[in-house]
Amino acid sequence: MESGSVLETIGQEIIGVMAPVSVCMLLVVLLVYTVYNPSSAAASATTIRTAANLVYMESPTDSTVQKLEGAILNAVVFVVIITLVTFLLVLLYYYRFNNFLIYYTRFSVFMIFSAMGSSILISIVQRFNIPIDAATFYILLFNFTILGTISVFSDGIPIIVKQSTMVVLGIIVAAWFSRLPEWTTWIVLVALALYDLAAVLAPGGPLKLLVELASTRDEELPALVYECRPNVGRNSGARVSNSGFFVAAGVGMSSDSHNGSVELQDLLRNGDRGTAMEILQGEDLVIPIDEDDRTSGGEIEEVREEAGEMVPLMGDGDSIERGSGNSGRVDNSRLSRRSEREGIEMEDFNPRGIKLGMGDFIFYSVLVGRAAMYDLMTVYACYLAIISGLGCTLILLAVCRQALPALPISITLGVIFYFLTRLFMEPFVVGASTNLMMF
Amino acid sequence: MTVAAGIGYALLALGPSLSLFVAVISRKPFLTLTLLSSTLVWLMSLIALSAVWRAFLPFKTATWWPYSLLILTSVALQEALRLFLWRVNKRMEEMLDAYADRVSKPRLYITDKMQIALAGGMGHGVAHAVFFCISLLTPAFGPATYYVEKCSKIPFFLVSAIMALAFVTIHTFSMVIAFNGYSEGNKKDQYFAPVVHLAAGLFTLANLVSGGCVVGIPLLYVMAIVTLVHCGNTVWRRLTDNRSMETNLQ
Repeated sequence: MESGSVLETIGQEIIGVMAPVSVCMLLVVLLVYTVYNPSSAAASATTIRTAANLVYMESPTDSTVQKLEGAILNAVVFVVIITLVTFLLVLLYYYRFNNFLIYYTRFSVFMIFSAMGSSILISIVQRFNIPIDAATFYILLFNFTILGTISVFSDGIPIIVKQSTMVVLGIIVAAWFSRLPEWTTWIVLVALALYDLAAVLAPGGPLKLLVELASTRDEELPALVYECRPNVGRNSGARVSNSGFFVAAGVGMSSDSHNGSVELQDLLRNGDRGTAMEILQGEDLVIPIDEDDRTSGGEIEEVREEAGEMVPLMGDGDSIERGSGNSGRVDNSRLSRRSEREGIEMEDFNPRGIKLGMGDFIFYSVLVGRAAMYDLMTVYACYLAIISGLGCTLILLAVCRQALPALPISITLGVIFYFLTRLFMEPFVVGASTNLMMF
Repeated sequence: MTVAAGIGYALLALGPSLSLFVAVISRKPFLTLTLLSSTLVWLMSLIALSAVWRAFLPFKTATWWPYSLLILTSVALQEALRLFLWRVNKRMEEMLDAYADRVSKPRLYITDKMQIALAGGMGHGVAHAVFFCISLLTPAFGPATYYVEKCSKIPFFLVSAIMALAFVTIHTFSMVIAFNGYSEGNKKDQYFAPVVHLAAGLFTLANLVSGGCVVGIPLLYVMAIVTLVHCGNTVWRRLTDNRSMETNLQ
């Protein structure tokens, strides 16, 4: 049609977040399905020992009650460990050990890529009989590891490299976690969702403390986040701490909407702001960032005025809700940090787009990977459930405008759909379909 | 039969949807969101149906009426869902229009509304294909194949892929027709979708008889072609009316 209608650009940010999550889940499912197929003997023989099954190593011969108790015990221990580490992180951040956090994150990324990543690569090579020699393998591995480690926290790297690194990290950790025994996996997922809820919303929760600390200091949290950024000029002055983040959701249109692609830019840091976030697994926190104090429904006008040189915002589906809804005052809440073991999902509506924490990537993919070990039908059902949970969380974020945990809704929906599909839908659909009776 | 065959079956069922997706739907993020939500809604309806019918399955009898009851209830639920989706769609259009007014952009064009309907319909179609065909394709990637005794001339995977293609077409385009019918108040269009859906479902019952798929599947395709043609006519008529209305206004 003549000029673009509203439909052209609404929802772009949400898709910008959902796309990498989908890619990560898809690759984890492929990996799990081809390499770690539980029906193969090799997979069942090797169970890994992680923090998640310190206490109880599940074996298929235990009785149901034993498995349940063992799994709950595992989950409790895991959550306790994560809580302790998060509090440690809060403490470190409080005493401004930012550099330590950055370096530790880099070290963790390096270890993930090299140690865990290489083990996965070797399994792939074995499975597909790829002819590759050790020297080439090491060189390539080293190459990509170094690239990944550097790209995590540097400013000068193209955003696509950063994003791919994040996705690969998510895949590696999720593939590892999918190898946990079944009961433990489900109960740990549920326990983490509950923990996330508590840690972000409860008054004494570590993640909430982190958010407040970061916001009072006006810094960014050092953490591993996936950022998807709309196409913006590199006017990083716009990264001003105070006026900085506008809720992108409020602004529907981008003023240069001729460029519809969501481009990623290196968002973070100036050197002085230590920002190192790392998350390997863990909680997810959703935080909107917006510092728009006006209370009017016309967000887009506000942004245009204040933005000036600022990033034009990309449209997004939440703007509808936001527009019709509320415009209360918003406080400056910043991204929360993640602890090392925790992935905070930050859904941050800053003008550059939404940020999502690594922990979310990882645990969504773990859920889907575990569903893949049963059947592909459960995979599709869980995928839809998780995506819709993510969408709901984004909408809630747009409405509530405060830090929100991102795991609970998706994990709950995912678990419910998994069990419903497995118990009810599959016999029905398979029965109908093999009789060639469809509707 | 092999990875190639597996991918072939998957593309047979979902190929046209994939091209539609890439060409039309992936251009506008909102349409992708619509597709995902309508897929989810269809999945939920399927879960609800299976929760209800689980107690009665598997059918021990060889008579056909329990199966037709199954199809009847399923189609009834899904058509009720279509009505519900129409209400939601209407509300969404109003919100989008209000938003467009606020940011001083043009309101939703007629093509936009039809694209939303298309995305919604495709969500249903893709969900059908995925749950009834693709999720069963995993053995097809292996070295062997599987035949159903009632339809033993061609492999099961091929039959289900062909049927899935027909159903994808039916679902996708009947949503456009239905939404058009609701917005114009055209009774014929409004009843078109449920009737076609029911007819298609009942035609698949022919597959329960040995050799029945020779009859059932072509009939199914007749339904699909009818839907396509009617959708094309409706859209054409609507667009030309719209254009003539616009030129009359000027």
